[in-house]
Amino acid sequence: MEAAAVPAGHGHEEHHGPPEAHRSSRVDAPLLGMLLFIISEIMVFGAFFTAYFFIRVVGGAEWPAEGDVLPKLVAGVNTAILLSSSFTMHWALESVKAGNRRGLQAGIFTTLLLGFAFLFIQVNEYVHVGFSPTESAQASIFYGLTGLHGAHVAIGLTLLAIVTVRAFRGHFTPEEHRGVEVPGIYWHFVDVMWVIVFTTVYII
Amino acid sequence: MLNPLRSEAEAFRFLVAVVLVAAVIVGLVLLVRAL
Repeated sequence: MEAAAVPAGHGHEEHHGPPEAHRSSRVDAPLLGMLLFIISEIMVFGAFFTAYFFIRVVGGAEWPAEGDVLPKLVAGVNTAILLSSSFTMHWALESVKAGNRRGLQAGIFTTLLLGFAFLFIQVNEYVHVGFSPTESAQASIFYGLTGLHGAHVAIGLTLLAIVTVRAFRGHFTPEEHRGVEVPGIYWHFVDVMWVIVFTTVYII
Repeated sequence: MLNPLRSEAEAFRFLVAVVLVAAVIVGLVLLVRAL
């Protein structure tokens, strides 16, 4: 509304686009958006973990189902790959903050490659694991939990691919790098979820 | 206070904390099972 009062043609005071949205929350809007998004994500994963614990703890079912073997070593290596990608993501953001474009490009591209490697190994694991989702409740929730996480990795890779292209096109500066920061927060969230999935499904 | 939603740096520190806590839990569970 304020912008409408400013006469047109006065240069820097001129406002383009719709009026500013009314904000009743005292929380910063991007932070609030990310908070609500992550909360909804935790609820989705929570639903799958509820099914997992119901089968294993309440139902007392053997884990994994009799005759099934989970490839702990492969999943462990894959975990190391995904955790490494969080370090390269952090390196990319620290680089852009320091004005180091080469560091940003190398960091984000390495993160993208590590993410693809994780997803490739997971698909390969599905091919060779030796049981299908329809065989048992344990198999269903194994595919459900790891598949839900894999879908999040795929979404994260899409975001990282966009960031990588933009980084090589010269976008982002030490002052303006929200386009790297927000996908970075999402990527670390995906890694946190994997640490929990890996610990509960493969190790404990 | 650590808020992983405020910045990438804090999200990264939160991830490292989760990894450490998970390692401690796994260690304790394996220890209890071995006893």
